[in-house]
Amino acid sequence: MTADLTLLLPLTVLWPMLLAGLALLPGWGPRMVMFLPLGPLPALAAALFAPRDTPVALPGVLLDGGLELTATGAIFLGGAAVLWFWAGVYAADYLRRDSRPAAFALFWNLVLAGNLGVVIAADIVSFYVFFAQVSLLAYPLVIHDRKPASMRAGTVYLVLAVLGEVAILVGLMLASHGAGGAIGIEAVRAALALPSTHPAALGLLIAGFGIKAGLMPLHVWLPVAHPAAPVPASAVLSGAIVKAGIFGMVALLPLGTPAAVAGNLLTILGFSGLFLAALLAVGQAGAKSVLAYSTVSQMGLVMGVLGVALAAGSAPATVLPAVALFALHHGLAKGALFLGVGLAPLCGRGWRWGLMAVLAVLGLSLVGMPLLAGALVKSAMKDPAGALGATLIGLSALTTALAMARYLAVLPTAKPRRRPPLLMALPFLALAGAALWLPWLLYADVTGKSPLAADLASKLAEAWPLGLAVLLIAGAVAVGLKPPTLPEGDALGPVQRRAAALTAAARAALRAGSRSLHRSRPKPQIVIGEDLDRIEDIFREGAAAAILVLAITGAVVAASLI
Amino acid sequence: MMTFAPLLLVFLPLVAAGVSFALPERLSAWRNAANLGVAFTKLLVVAYLLNATEAGLVFEWRYEFLPGHDFVLRLDRLALLFVTLSVFLWLLTTIYAIAYFDRGPNLPRFFGFFNLCVLAATGVAMSGTAITFFLFYELLTLATWPLVAHKGDDKSLRAGRIYLSYTLAGSVAFLAGILWLQSLVGAIEFAAPPDLTGIPALTLTLIFILCIGGLGVKAAIFPLHGWLPEAMAAPAPVSALLHAVAVVKAGAFAIVRMIYDVYGIGTVAELGLGVPLAALASVTILYGSVRALMQSDLKKRLAYSTVSQVSYIILGASLIGPYAVIGGLVHLVHQGIMKITLFMCAGALANRMGIKAIADLDGAGRLMPVTMAAFSVGALGMIGLPPVAGFISKWYLGIGALQSDAAWVVAVLAGSSLLNAAYFLPLLYRAWLLPPPPDRPAIRELATTRDRMLILPAAVTALVALGAGIFASLPFSPLGWATLIAEGGYLR
Repeated sequence: MTADLTLLLPLTVLWPMLLAGLALLPGWGPRMVMFLPLGPLPALAAALFAPRDTPVALPGVLLDGGLELTATGAIFLGGAAVLWFWAGVYAADYLRRDSRPAAFALFWNLVLAGNLGVVIAADIVSFYVFFAQVSLLAYPLVIHDRKPASMRAGTVYLVLAVLGEVAILVGLMLASHGAGGAIGIEAVRAALALPSTHPAALGLLIAGFGIKAGLMPLHVWLPVAHPAAPVPASAVLSGAIVKAGIFGMVALLPLGTPAAVAGNLLTILGFSGLFLAALLAVGQAGAKSVLAYSTVSQMGLVMGVLGVALAAGSAPATVLPAVALFALHHGLAKGALFLGVGLAPLCGRGWRWGLMAVLAVLGLSLVGMPLLAGALVKSAMKDPAGALGATLIGLSALTTALAMARYLAVLPTAKPRRRPPLLMALPFLALAGAALWLPWLLYADVTGKSPLAADLASKLAEAWPLGLAVLLIAGAVAVGLKPPTLPEGDALGPVQRRAAALTAAARAALRAGSRSLHRSRPKPQIVIGEDLDRIEDIFREGAAAAILVLAITGAVVAASLI
Repeated sequence: MMTFAPLLLVFLPLVAAGVSFALPERLSAWRNAANLGVAFTKLLVVAYLLNATEAGLVFEWRYEFLPGHDFVLRLDRLALLFVTLSVFLWLLTTIYAIAYFDRGPNLPRFFGFFNLCVLAATGVAMSGTAITFFLFYELLTLATWPLVAHKGDDKSLRAGRIYLSYTLAGSVAFLAGILWLQSLVGAIEFAAPPDLTGIPALTLTLIFILCIGGLGVKAAIFPLHGWLPEAMAAPAPVSALLHAVAVVKAGAFAIVRMIYDVYGIGTVAELGLGVPLAALASVTILYGSVRALMQSDLKKRLAYSTVSQVSYIILGASLIGPYAVIGGLVHLVHQGIMKITLFMCAGALANRMGIKAIADLDGAGRLMPVTMAAFSVGALGMIGLPPVAGFISKWYLGIGALQSDAAWVVAVLAGSSLLNAAYFLPLLYRAWLLPPPPDRPAIRELATTRDRMLILPAAVTALVALGAGIFASLPFSPLGWATLIAEGGYLR
């Protein structure tokens, strides 16, 4: 029976690919939007039933790749499957009158397959292939509405994604070489801890995964790209796809062997992201941008904890379950919050209050309000985070609360007399429920502790940053204080302007330089390409002689060297 | 079959060439049938040969044409790698060329030389001695010239002239090198590499530079690459061929032969020639990419991209490590498949919509989706994005470089990937995301005149490029075959 169940792993990625293939068929394409929820079903089954730590070889595929589900992977896989499923239900309704449904269904399923594949890849080559798939093919989802702002966001997304790909590729090559050419994930992870492995490997991998997971300051694509996509795509981008970067770290960081430099760097960047991004979120004007920054902030928390563990050399078993649980809660809650943005205009009258109530509970859970699931997963994270990390996590409740308050404040206003359609309300409620309930369900299994271990009084005592936040918010509302409006992608605007200025300056310098080179034949618009053209032309005219001369000169030079 | 199989591969295109030259234009249907028939038959022969050679058989045909100099056709695994690639792509290019030209002028001449060209390319692959090799290599030069100058306008004639002056000069250098070496060690047979002990290192180095310098012209190594972008004046099927299989690959293949089967990797390493050649290949890789980025003409951008990509093969050969050997060999095939896809697509775009400049690509994806899909696969493969085959080459080259303690090569590969992304992704952006200009033929109109045979070959090669990446570790995949070659004797 187990033999049959391992087949769920290949099916997990093949099934969405098949659905993507169907979206290419003329006539079928537009209808495939209705079948979006079907994509993650094998993954859900695999997360529940597939045997753990049992590799499935796929002979002949890539470099004899394979798939394997680890215990940590199962939580990531299950969380992703639930989120993709409900976002798919939502999308089926949301995109009913879309002008490009076939393209959406195609790339949705391809990205889904890549997202799930990252979690179950057993070797780094398969992992890299799936990672590239989830990373690059999400571009069409980001630019789906083709608005100028989305196109700009897409370009930023693509540039950073390609940079990330290259960083990861080189990092994996170095690591694999350190492992003697092995490509198994465990072997490569072990090799990253060896002193003989090129030290750049770990740094490049952290940078590459950091780009995907929104590690400050590599996060700039995230707050512009996530809001640009259609609501259900934003939900999976922020809920599940950023987790591909986190999972990359979970799978490959050599936990268990202290790596002070990389670990400390990750700690500093992660925890500064935790606070800075939350503060930047407060200055955002759009609800989706607030959420995107909040994602950067929460992922900063995860990466900060991973950094502490990496620097201290904590065993994987003490860190990864907590990270998985935190990621699960964040993914589901963030997904629901994004779907809430799409629902807000459709919730008139009394519906609005219901929506706001659910969103507020979700927000409080993210903040870490005692008794809610978020507090549970945060308390799990405090163990591996060390003393300072635990304090920072506790303090972050303040900034997170401010960000969530901002989110509720800038939620789109409702059109009067609108009732939310069932197929959009249901996924929202289901995700919210799952976010609040699944951590409770899994906590004991995953961490080996009872969720009710600590006494309530101490928990309440730790909640003072939340109380402070409530006071601050109340005060701000009372005096009518408004936060400043910051641009999406904070550093991005100045950087882009600076880059444009630099390019223009370089071009002008080149032109001036080449003009001085060709003073005898002044030509107004000489650029470097034309100069090279001319050199190549001169060479071409006397090619025969030139080649012989070159060969002889080469020979003479070599002779003189020896 | 044992001895005649190599001869058959040379003889068959000769028949097709004769038929093409002889038949008048009104019997073009017969000419096409003969061309396709021969191309298909050769594919069957190659399929048989692959099976036999995998089992360890070596086919050889030998004839003493000068005292002490044998004319040898020999099909070892390395030869078969190149033969398979050329025979497979030739069949597709023939299909494509027939659709592309339809009823153009001077087609008997074109198809005649086209077949002589395939004859020469297979001959280059199968040559067992240096002199045999030189004969076919020169035949290739001469048979390609009428193809480059096919259109007969000033630009094409100029391109033809430049092509000849480059390649003939290269041949002179190569011939000088080979003759010098032969004067020292006697006739050179690839199957039994000459014994170079006792020859001064300086002499060996000089000969090596002469030979690689000569062969480097066809392989378009910087700064000997100038003919290649000019040769873009040729019709699309010729460009596709020149770049993917025939001329450029013959040069790269010859360099691989020189390093492995004449000098031997041990000698190359001892002489310290590997690293300078790797450095030159790296310069070519980056220079070609930068130049590609500067082009505004689609075919020229692809041409400079070829300059860059072919040097991956030379890089692999010069790095002298097990994975690098495999990476270089496998890229010989992968680059061929991906580049021919790109050129056939570029030709189809020019043929159907008159697209030549990159700025004209706007909206091409909406009007010719299958062509642009194939083009996209080729382009992504060139960048090295998985799961297209180019990724496999890059992986092996990267690990191979590290095995040879040349970590800087990884940086070159990464830089090249980024540059490739910089000059290919904007093309895809234009084609898929920008609206087509209003003066383009409407989709409906295109659909009524759709010529499947113009698109099918590119679609097939695109699928093969995907398959070669996704199923890289199957035994008869390019990677599987390259590994077989490497294990057969080129690993230290």
